[in-house]
Amino acid sequence: MNGLKILVVDDDAVTRSLLTKRLTKESYDVETAEDGAKALDLIDQRSYDVILTDLMMPQVDGIGVLEAAKKISIKTEVILITAHASLANAIEAMKKGAADYLQKPINMDELILRLQKIRHTKTLIKNAADLREAMDVTEKNSAETIQRLELMVNELETRLNRIAHILKAHGLTADERIQKALAQ
Amino acid sequence: MVKIKPDEIEILSQYIHRISGISIEKSKAYLLETRFTKLLEEEGCTSYLALYHKAKSDHQKIIEKKIIDAITTNETLFFRDNSPFELLKHKLIPELIDARSSGNSAGANPSIRIWSSACSTGQEIYSIAIVLKELLRDVSKYNITLLGTDISDAAIAQASYGSYNKFEIERGLDRVMLTRYFSPVGTNWKVKDEIRSMANFRKINLMQPFNGLGKWDIIFCRNVAIYFTLADRKRLFTKIADVLAPDGALIIGSTESLTGVCPRFVPMRHLRAIFYNHK
Repeated sequence: MNGLKILVVDDDAVTRSLLTKRLTKESYDVETAEDGAKALDLIDQRSYDVILTDLMMPQVDGIGVLEAAKKISIKTEVILITAHASLANAIEAMKKGAADYLQKPINMDELILRLQKIRHTKTLIKNAADLREAMDVTEKNSAETIQRLELMVNELETRLNRIAHILKAHGLTADERIQKALAQ
Repeated sequence: MVKIKPDEIEILSQYIHRISGISIEKSKAYLLETRFTKLLEEEGCTSYLALYHKAKSDHQKIIEKKIIDAITTNETLFFRDNSPFELLKHKLIPELIDARSSGNSAGANPSIRIWSSACSTGQEIYSIAIVLKELLRDVSKYNITLLGTDISDAAIAQASYGSYNKFEIERGLDRVMLTRYFSPVGTNWKVKDEIRSMANFRKINLMQPFNGLGKWDIIFCRNVAIYFTLADRKRLFTKIADVLAPDGALIIGSTESLTGVCPRFVPMRHLRAIFYNHK
């Protein structure tokens, strides 16, 4: 397992099977959808780390898939596959939150490198999230202790002040003062 | 990465303490390396000592500012540790409004003054603004002053711009609050103007005298004094006591303590939160 779950969206059967074969060989977990509408169904039901989608598709296109995926989870990264002619659209898509774009014909080595980069970033994000979680737990626990001590010290201080006041009181015998102080 | 030498650690940490109050232990030398590598490159310095000398001779203090930006920790989030915001909503603000309304000449708007003294990139003061908005609805019926201050120019600039990336935004804010008070701008989220306009920002170095700051009803000073020495912490909280209104409340970080730091405050408990009043 390479640790990424990938959805390949393309209306061309040859591209789909080519990508599936190569990515499976690299031990990625791959699923496919033959058009944008199918992809939306799948995105609704399951969560993917990466969606690799063709930009030009009838009805729901790559941008449609991108928008739907980002709406459901900003953690899903989308790579667009674009014909040379649609480069401007691909750049527009990057502005809408796509992680990357690749031009056809797909250079498989390049694709694998991009996926490794995404996996690396996801690992770092997870590490940071784990550290924050650990920090939150530590913080919560120490906060309870510190706050309890803070109140306790204050209470003891007040009590000691009261006792000091009694011990200094005039008009009482030493015994009376001690008795009264001990009762505090 | 350029390795930092022991005498450079000494000189640089003393310099940082002087300009920011931040105290760096010798064992944390790696922090200087990770935080200053980029600045060293940018300034074309081949050693930390060279950076120090360059900063010292820069009368416009541009490098000094960059050093402060690099060494300050901007770990913050919206509604970081929820309990102070619950405390505001359910106790401090309602009581404050009662106090400021009674004895007020009829028609005058009750005034509420809240200071976030180490506001970093603004999440704390905007969280406070959101609490006020949620609680009071029509904020124009009140005379509200929200001030966020920080020592870092870069942090202040981001705070007043009010734009956050997805990592900064997704912690602490739920979807409802996000869409109610933020607008998507590209891949970022920007605080809506109704909230943004409630807050003002200013650069303040907590080590320096608080001149012309006025009195505050509620002061947030969370997770900043932890970077200071005990002596500096004592001075800081004494100055804070001076600018806190007689019936005002101070909120410090959930793992911080004022025991042995400032005898002028008394801790008060409300539900799960602690705040401080004048003794």
